[in-house]
Amino acid sequence: MEILWAILILLGLGLLLGLGLAIAAKVLHVKEDERIEEVAKRLPNYNCGSCGYAGCHDMAEAIIKGEETNLRKCKPGKEDNNFKPILEYLDSHPNEDGSKIKAHL
Amino acid sequence: MVMQGIVSFLLAIVSSMLIDNVVLSRFYGICPFLGVSKKVKSSLGMGIAVVFVILLATLICWPLYHFILVPAGIPFLDTVAYILVIASLVQLVGLFIKKYSPSLYKSLGIYLPLITTNCAVLGVAQGNTDQGLDFLQAIANGLGTSIGFLLIIVTFSCIRVRLESANTPKAFKGLPIALITAAIMAIAMMGLQGLFTGVIK
Repeated sequence: MEILWAILILLGLGLLLGLGLAIAAKVLHVKEDERIEEVAKRLPNYNCGSCGYAGCHDMAEAIIKGEETNLRKCKPGKEDNNFKPILEYLDSHPNEDGSKIKAHL
Repeated sequence: MVMQGIVSFLLAIVSSMLIDNVVLSRFYGICPFLGVSKKVKSSLGMGIAVVFVILLATLICWPLYHFILVPAGIPFLDTVAYILVIASLVQLVGLFIKKYSPSLYKSLGIYLPLITTNCAVLGVAQGNTDQGLDFLQAIANGLGTSIGFLLIIVTFSCIRVRLESANTPKAFKGLPIALITAAIMAIAMMGLQGLFTGVIK
């Protein structure tokens, strides 16, 4: 009986908190440059931190902002799987003023 | 009677804030204490975030334990349930800070999600139920502990800012001198031990 309660209560608690967070995420949503998400998708997403940023999302943000131009800083990244798709993506998605984001290998 | 209640409430706050200081006497929450104390502004943000999380965690975890876990006969699941609550609260605080203060979000960095594993937060929630405190005492404990954390981390960051420009030997620059400073602060806090023994007893 106890184990049933344990499962039910933790399940309920998790559901409740998850629902709360989902609502909070909608309400407190911050509009972000969608290109950051797209570049982050093309990184290895190990979040190893060997590039010097706190994770893949942070590095993607730095690339989009033009703070980071050297893609090779991402150590586990492979040329064909990660870097070339990123370069292609950056090439086809310039900034609003038309200038291209600079990045190299 | 009411007066006495208020006095003991305030005494409980001050005692968990200064005498049993969470960082310097109980040695909880050392990770953000050392990690986010380089700048006064980010330490203040961290302290306030921790105050918020601890207070809300106390408000949720105490009823959760006494009205749900105990009646259901599963009080042994308290740690798991508390971590669930705390992790969600930290996510909430993270979303909030990201929305309203992106610069603070950036300066807190990885330490913001790490409040989840800040033992000060879990320590308060767990201590409240383990010591059998009633709800008011639990709130006093949470308030005192978190304000104590805020106080110490801000004081420490002020000292560290001064240390940056001080003429410390090269081998002691940065973290070593910070650890020595923390030790001296802990010794200073020991001087407050027994401050209220005469008042309470």
